[in-house]
Amino acid sequence: MSTQAAPGAAPRLFHPHFAGHDQISARTLGFWLYMLSDALIFAAVFAAYAVLNNRMGAAGGPIAPQVTNPLEGLWQTYAVLGSVATYSLGTVALKSGNKAGVMLGIILAIALALVFLGFEAHDLLGLMARGDGVTRSGYLSAFIILIATHGLHMVFGIIWMLVMLVQIPTLGFSANVVARLLNLRMFWQFQATIWVVIYVYVYMIGAF
Amino acid sequence: MSAPHTNPLDHPEVRMASAWRYISGFIASMVLMQAAFIVTLRQHPPYEQYALTIAGLALASLVSQAALFFGLDISRAQIWKSVSLVLTVPLFVLSVGLTVWMFQSLAARTMLMPATTMQPTLLQ
Amino acid sequence: MQVAVPGPWSPLFGRLTLAAIPYDNPILVATFAGVAVVGLVVVAAVLYYKKLGYLWREWLTTVDHKKIGVMYVILGLVMLLRGFADALMIRTQQAMAIGPNSPGVLGAQHGYLPPFHFDQVYSAHGTAMILFAATPILTGLTNIVVPLQIGARDMAFPYMNALSLWLTVAGAALVMISLFVGDFSAAGWVGLIPLTELPYSPGVGVDYWMWAIQISSIGTTLNAINMIVTIIKMRAPGMGWFRLPVFTWTTLSTNIIGLTAFPVLGVALALLGADRYLGAHFYTAGNGGNLMLYTNLFWIWGHPEVYFLVLPAFGIMSEIIPTFSEKPLFGYTTMVAATFAIAGISWAVWLHHFFTMAAGPDVNGFFSIATMLVGIPTGVKVFNWMFTLYRGRLTFATPMLWCLYGLFLLLAGGITGMMLAIPAINYTVHNSVFVIAHFHCMVLLVVTAIFAAVAYWFPKVFGFALNETLGRGFFWTFSTATTITFLAMFALGFEGETRRLDYIYDPAWRPMLWTEEFGIALYCVSLVYFVLMLYVSLRDRVPAAADPWHSARTLEFLTPSPVPFYNFAVTPEVNARDELAWRRQHGLEHARPEAFEPIHMPSNSGLSFITGMCALAMGFGLIWRIWWLAGAGLLGIVLVVIIRSFDKNLGYEIQPAEVAAMEEDLSLGGIIAEQPKRAPLTEAEAH
Repeated sequence: MSTQAAPGAAPRLFHPHFAGHDQISARTLGFWLYMLSDALIFAAVFAAYAVLNNRMGAAGGPIAPQVTNPLEGLWQTYAVLGSVATYSLGTVALKSGNKAGVMLGIILAIALALVFLGFEAHDLLGLMARGDGVTRSGYLSAFIILIATHGLHMVFGIIWMLVMLVQIPTLGFSANVVARLLNLRMFWQFQATIWVVIYVYVYMIGAF
Repeated sequence: MSAPHTNPLDHPEVRMASAWRYISGFIASMVLMQAAFIVTLRQHPPYEQYALTIAGLALASLVSQAALFFGLDISRAQIWKSVSLVLTVPLFVLSVGLTVWMFQSLAARTMLMPATTMQPTLLQ
Repeated sequence: MQVAVPGPWSPLFGRLTLAAIPYDNPILVATFAGVAVVGLVVVAAVLYYKKLGYLWREWLTTVDHKKIGVMYVILGLVMLLRGFADALMIRTQQAMAIGPNSPGVLGAQHGYLPPFHFDQVYSAHGTAMILFAATPILTGLTNIVVPLQIGARDMAFPYMNALSLWLTVAGAALVMISLFVGDFSAAGWVGLIPLTELPYSPGVGVDYWMWAIQISSIGTTLNAINMIVTIIKMRAPGMGWFRLPVFTWTTLSTNIIGLTAFPVLGVALALLGADRYLGAHFYTAGNGGNLMLYTNLFWIWGHPEVYFLVLPAFGIMSEIIPTFSEKPLFGYTTMVAATFAIAGISWAVWLHHFFTMAAGPDVNGFFSIATMLVGIPTGVKVFNWMFTLYRGRLTFATPMLWCLYGLFLLLAGGITGMMLAIPAINYTVHNSVFVIAHFHCMVLLVVTAIFAAVAYWFPKVFGFALNETLGRGFFWTFSTATTITFLAMFALGFEGETRRLDYIYDPAWRPMLWTEEFGIALYCVSLVYFVLMLYVSLRDRVPAAADPWHSARTLEFLTPSPVPFYNFAVTPEVNARDELAWRRQHGLEHARPEAFEPIHMPSNSGLSFITGMCALAMGFGLIWRIWWLAGAGLLGIVLVVIIRSFDKNLGYEIQPAEVAAMEEDLSLGGIIAEQPKRAPLTEAEAH
């Protein structure tokens, strides 16, 4: 790559009416970077889980095979993948500016996300009712916090979707709303990605 | 910093949404997870082989999601996302992998525990 | 699900009672009196000169990257002073409390600080210096300089930039509040585990430490996102990757570290929070917790954080040394490669902070070799700077002096670092002050680079230079003090002094401890020079040229001094790696655009400030377990985010005539000028 302009030619010193950058791309890239940093949050929690996932960590309490159920996890996997697919299909309707299509996708995604969270709440509340909450052992602390971290992301995504359900009819597809819908799509797809890792690493290896 | 002069719906990242990609992404991940589930239920292979199998299935699922859901590629619109992902994945692997390794080493040297009672982890 | 804590608790005030205010401690009362007087004078001055509106409109609500950067630097300097006061207290205690016959005053058996107070002082010293002084100052400098260096009008996300600042301020405010309400952590800045667990630290000190770091590191992560997107997306036309100034490169790499490392710190502290607030067992001594897990997670962040600090310092040196050598930087490409090599390796070295954990020789060997590898790219950098100096036309202005002393510190710190990378040596000197002296050399390298940068870019931002004579006085006293203090500390490390001692049991260390105390006294003299330098420079305000050093090489010195709030009247076209040097060489450095055009700018917003204050309230509520306050703070943050998302403000435009007037009279657009109210664009105008 040349580091200097060619000699002789009259150099251009200013660039009037420079269009600048495209705001939507900047926002999606920024949001993508946030997600990578979020991925490192999960990396650290996974590391904690890996360290505490043994009999020492369980301190005489239950361990992975007793608290995880791969079949239930599979239903949750379907729910979260379905939710991601419906939201993503909703953004296909965005191409034609179809408000009803986008909103339908969001509503279905919320419904499936609630199914997912229902399973999860049932699991966690069941554990706590048995006295196997975070106070029981290092292993259960790691298990519950890992699941809850992902669950909180899902809750946050649902709140975001609800806000978008208000903004699409009131603000229309302005640049800001479109950028948010694109970011939300990445955020939501990211939850499925993380869930796949949790499902494989916690539910299935734990059940072996 | 310029005011928006163009229709945001013409943005490449809006245009790249595609029904077939999302549906096939959904099916791919679903099938792969279903397969991993079946492998888990059968519980036949030894631990290492089992762990490698489902790790492979999970990796395939993650790659399919990156390509089909996120639509990552090296086009102008997506290149920086792909590059930053490629740079971040090693950090993810390093921070989890080296941690597992060092605690493995630590446990073997400091925790007096018969090997048979230890829960298998990925490295065993 | 409330974990039992000792002491009273009420729904309205949580654990907060009048007893939390340390009115019986004369040191803290005197400090409080001092802070209160200074605070009252500042508030009175603002009100007397009727500047409250100006302060709100032009500073607290600003989205201008330069003003945000200046506020970051001011915050960092205040915390640097706080950290220095702590250092003074530590040194003085150690100089006094030597041997069993040493007298004790103010309730202490020896010296003047009882152990619990002394422990808080050194914990606060480390926390304040690394997280609330060095980090914000460097963030501030990159905020100011990088958009100018790449020819941009602002950061990619100006509003989020302000948000990052106010979150950092909220964290710093918590550290300061802990002085006068309750106490601070007594478990070291790293949070020695399991000392930070509830049974061993039942007070609020650890909570202060934890939430202050947690809140400010969210700010740092957001800023990292902002910086990376700015560098990728906002470069001026012609600014290809291999024309980026090295400071911008180092900023990019440092923010990649910030983006990926700070989340791990967040998790390390959040899991500690789960232990302390929910009764979990991540790091507890029993019930299946694992102490080393905390240490591990903390240093996964901690070591990259070291490079997070030192890489921008390297960038600063790479800008200043060529300017004052009147030569292009030697080995630009290797410099960039070395920067990224350091950033990459920084992710595989963290275990060297706890070689003594008892992992096997294979693990220790791996991390030892990885650590030594860092020496290679760092060596490349040192040689590049040396070859830049070689046969250059050197001018020893203050920024250059700071950089050269920085090279000395890098050498001292780097070579001792290589020693510490060897596990066998590390086992011997672990936890001794040898380690302290080593990392103080590195951190003080960052500080010298910071003072170099402040002197170097000050005229660009404010339009007048810092006083050179007093600046030299500051440099010579500061660098002599550093040399004396830390050479003595290296010696004490070899003599076997361990760190964090509130009582010195071996009188043979007295000479070196008193040498250190002398060094600290010299630091106090340098502080006087610093204040005088600021005072005299502000009083005289000698106007500076666009390029005050006459040999600067990069794009930021193309703008007039002080740089107007819109940075570039017309976006420059970049033709060379050192654009300004290239223009000077072709006699083009005074070229001005032929015509001006309307400039679109974002409007100010008070919401970022309000979010920061909500975060402060939330943090305070969590620390004192005032649940309603914590909940209200959190709700406030969520609501502000949602309200902001409904905001339709499209920014405003400055018309060419106004731009022309501001380019003519620079005081109109400078950083301290008050801007007239400008109406935001309407939907119709934007299209």
